Amino acid sequence: MTYFIVKRLAIGLLTIWGVVTAVFIVVRLAPGDQATVALGPDASAAEVAALRHTLGLDQPLLVQYLSYLGDVVRLDFGDSYRFGRPAMDQVLERFPATAELTLAATVIAIVAGLILGVIAGKKPGSGLDRAVSTVTLGMQALPPFWVGIMFILIFALQLQVLPSAGGGSLANLVLPAVTLAIPFTALVARMTRSGVAETMSEAFVQTARSKGLTETQVLTGHVVKNSLIPVVTVVGLQVGTLLGGAVIIETVFAWPGLGSLLVSAVGNRDYAVVQAATVLIALCVIVLNLAADIINAKLDPRIRLEARR
Amino acid sequence: MTQSDILLTEAPGPVAPPARRRRRRPLAAIPYVIIGLYVLAATIGPLLIDYDPVATEVTERLLPPGSATESGTAWLGTDAVGRDVLAQVVYGARTSFIIGIAVVTACGLIGVVLGALAGYSGGLPDAAVSRTIDVLMAFPGILLAIVIAGLLERGMHVVIIALSVGGWVGFARLSRSITMSTRERDWVDAARIMGVSKAATLKRHIVPFLTGSVVALATIELASAVLSEAALSFLGLGLPPHIVSWGQAIAGGREHLATAWWITVFPGIALTVLVVCIGLVGDRLTRRFTRKRD
Amino acid sequence: MTMRTRRSLSIFAGTIALLTAAAACSSDDPASPTGESGATGGDLTVAGPIPIENLDPHGAASLDGGTQLAARAIFSQLVVSTGPGEFEGELAESWEPNADTTEWTFTLREGVEYSDGTAVTAADVVASFERVLAGEGPLAGNFGGYTVAAPDESTVVFTSPTPDAAFLGKISSFFVTPQGAAEEGFFQDPIGSGPFVVESFEPGASLQLAPNPGYWDGEPTLDTLEFQSIPEVAARMTALQTGEVDVTWSMPDDQIAALKSDSDLTVENVPSPGVITMWMNSSTPALQDPAVRRALWQAVDFESIIGSLYPETGSPADSVISPAVLGYAPQEPVPYDPEAAKAALDAAGFDYENTVIRWQFSQANFRNLVDAVVSDLAEIGVTVEPLEKEQAVFLEDLLALNWDMNLQQLGTQGFDAATNLGRLYTCAANRTGYCNEQLDQILAEAGSTSDTALREELYAQATEIIWNDAVGMYPMFVEQPYAWRTSVEGFEPVPDGLPYFDEVAVSGD
Repeated sequence: MTYFIVKRLAIGLLTIWGVVTAVFIVVRLAPGDQATVALGPDASAAEVAALRHTLGLDQPLLVQYLSYLGDVVRLDFGDSYRFGRPAMDQVLERFPATAELTLAATVIAIVAGLILGVIAGKKPGSGLDRAVSTVTLGMQALPPFWVGIMFILIFALQLQVLPSAGGGSLANLVLPAVTLAIPFTALVARMTRSGVAETMSEAFVQTARSKGLTETQVLTGHVVKNSLIPVVTVVGLQVGTLLGGAVIIETVFAWPGLGSLLVSAVGNRDYAVVQAATVLIALCVIVLNLAADIINAKLDPRIRLEARR
Repeated sequence: MTQSDILLTEAPGPVAPPARRRRRRPLAAIPYVIIGLYVLAATIGPLLIDYDPVATEVTERLLPPGSATESGTAWLGTDAVGRDVLAQVVYGARTSFIIGIAVVTACGLIGVVLGALAGYSGGLPDAAVSRTIDVLMAFPGILLAIVIAGLLERGMHVVIIALSVGGWVGFARLSRSITMSTRERDWVDAARIMGVSKAATLKRHIVPFLTGSVVALATIELASAVLSEAALSFLGLGLPPHIVSWGQAIAGGREHLATAWWITVFPGIALTVLVVCIGLVGDRLTRRFTRKRD
Repeated sequence: MTMRTRRSLSIFAGTIALLTAAAACSSDDPASPTGESGATGGDLTVAGPIPIENLDPHGAASLDGGTQLAARAIFSQLVVSTGPGEFEGELAESWEPNADTTEWTFTLREGVEYSDGTAVTAADVVASFERVLAGEGPLAGNFGGYTVAAPDESTVVFTSPTPDAAFLGKISSFFVTPQGAAEEGFFQDPIGSGPFVVESFEPGASLQLAPNPGYWDGEPTLDTLEFQSIPEVAARMTALQTGEVDVTWSMPDDQIAALKSDSDLTVENVPSPGVITMWMNSSTPALQDPAVRRALWQAVDFESIIGSLYPETGSPADSVISPAVLGYAPQEPVPYDPEAAKAALDAAGFDYENTVIRWQFSQANFRNLVDAVVSDLAEIGVTVEPLEKEQAVFLEDLLALNWDMNLQQLGTQGFDAATNLGRLYTCAANRTGYCNEQLDQILAEAGSTSDTALREELYAQATEIIWNDAVGMYPMFVEQPYAWRTSVEGFEPVPDGLPYFDEVAVSGD
């Protein structure tokens, strides 16, 4: 177990280095830099060149990369030109809002997904099963921004029961979290369904039934627990996708999170913020995947951690 | 990556009595029929409906479905610059298919080749591919899409590249894990001992095992590519204005949702129905091939 | 108003309370002020079109709309521009240029204090100005070669190496901060001499302000003022209609009709300095000939386009700069005449087959306009390829003249033609591919005299040249739309979309 964790951490560090390097290259490949964007449409070419020089953007890329790498090792991500403060401060300030949103969406998705999945998986091939399958496919087929705007028009404008935009209160969380949870719910439901369908036929379920346990007891006690493993894995793997979805949801609902920050930072060529945010996101993905594997090992002793890559 | 996980973890198909499973289900044909209709619309629709995405008629903008325009009746209404929504739905089908198929082909090819190589060779190639996958999975895909959109001039190829850059990971992970388990089978060992070359072994003994699952994954990725095009359009990174697509239409009409719902709703229905049908087909394939594999 | 919404939510809230508890440390709850009374000034929530990301009015974001908006509430300008060529003193009580406008002397108002009680001095003005220059931000670009000095406590002198008649317009974007602004972290919790003080600031999300009791022009009546960022139009409009937001502006035309029909809202447009400007790159071989450029302009039915797409905020333009700007001079409109356009292109030997005009723009809200113009040009056989670019790419290509046509809404900083015509149309600036020595001379002369009547005359001549040579198409003047709830009193729309809130009050509803 310890060996496994150490090995995974080492791979994690390697991945972080990969991400750090990739993001450096990628943002600098894009045309335009912070000197162009900061000075705006009224600047002259000479002014842009002067600012570029002041910022050190005219140095060879390798020099810039090495100095950046050195800073990152010391956990210094530089100052955001846009926000006029350390980039990591800005990123960490936005992080909790995104964590809150994705966490809420994950909980909604797991609860709703498990319920739907168990309903469908209990009687595979039944009408109910097929209905749930089609509904969950539909949930994955709706463009999230469209759903989000519809929610605003229905719940905020027409019914006036929920606020339309902004963060800070629980009421503000409901619409974005539900919107973000919709495709994720469908995914969890589908995973659960197949897990449950498989488990229902296994010997220990038959045994449990023959011991005289009620169907509900069998389901909650045995079937669900055994179907959880793939669900936990997927939840871990989905963090990245969820954050990607959060970009759109945060824009629609003016949710002050990391996703909208990242998009505007890329647009503004705010390299420091892009780099800080990307590294933080990568860190989350890696840690949560590791956590998912460890939870799975606890859920099912048959899984030997070492066996997984 | 989402979808490959289903395939990786998907259990054998539903355990229903065999007799019941073999019973013909006329309903089961519906998704195929609908997809067929879409393909038909995408191929011959543009021949039947005349539409020039460049031509606008601002005086006939935001007309509700059924309104009469100078060029006939706008059965599904007109958009914010007076273009026919019905024609956009039909022409958009073509765009969606082209993007979906191109993305899936590119991702499938890259993913399967890299995944199979990594899974079969192990060692350094495996490590290289696996670490690349790790980095891509920990990297916000949206960032790549933005940069690609900035680097290249807007066009259909940009959307295809942007969606493919991260999309192959799912195929690679799937192929890698199936290859790794297949490699241990007796007949592969036998081939190896008999001195069959690596390429030939891969081609003859491994790839056939991949086909089913990869096709199943491809259907699901097809659906998600169609959907992602809309998301890119929402972020302003989608297709240029002169290429008609559902995503463009939905993203472009979002400011008019309260007043001119038809701009987004009809392309939205077209998109959702197609994605659901492809998904249903994908589900069926997934069930069939995961069963076969185990 | 927000209270009602929040209360009805308590049931929903309960169910997810558990999961939020884990992340409760996240956003500091904006301790929603409970005084829902009409007696005092009330609480005002404002959502403009641009987020406030940075409160530093000197640096990289100095000309950013969000920063300027916040700065107007927190800091003070020397002078405020109130119309074309008209200024009102804020920190400055009076000002005077020397004869050739190379030296501007300002006398500061007595007794103005920062919110911490220290006095605003000439040394602060000098330090702030030097900070602007050192920052090399967009504002600094206005003051190339400038030096500043404070001969005594209440006098500041700005000196330019070249005559600069438009200095007042430029300096109206300049804000004075304490000298401590140079210290790290100052703008997290800044001290200013403006009508409001910062309570809390989440960059890019929200800015909470409270009135400054020591404000020299009288404490604002509002109890609290909050700026929120709501990027998505549908959400912002909904928030205004439900009362979550009290004031917004820069709404798209298609939304204005719906807002007008809401009896709880007041919708008003004011003329703005904005002009829809479609430069045609005169250094592109196909567009070198002024006759070709004029013909293209003539081929577009701007009257129908404006009437259909911008019925609320657009009006056909008759000049390069707007009537709200000093130096405005009306020109002969370019009538829509596709036949004449076609004939002129034929006469000029325009190559319809092999010419593709690359037209760049960066804002998605221009899409409809672009589509419509492209359609009209296609009618006479001219192919235009619209290129929607990401902002950074757009800017890079803009400066590099990597376009055949360009679309921008150009404003005029400080309402003075010098910052628009004088800056963009010289040969040296090389912004449009157009170079005309006669125009250069006129612009140089206009920039170096303080005689307003003479400047107006010279800018009229310059406008005529630019207009007749069709350096670009100038189809539309833009009005700035505002909408606010009827419970908001004393709100004054301003042309540049950066309103003040010190005289606003909210009555109980």
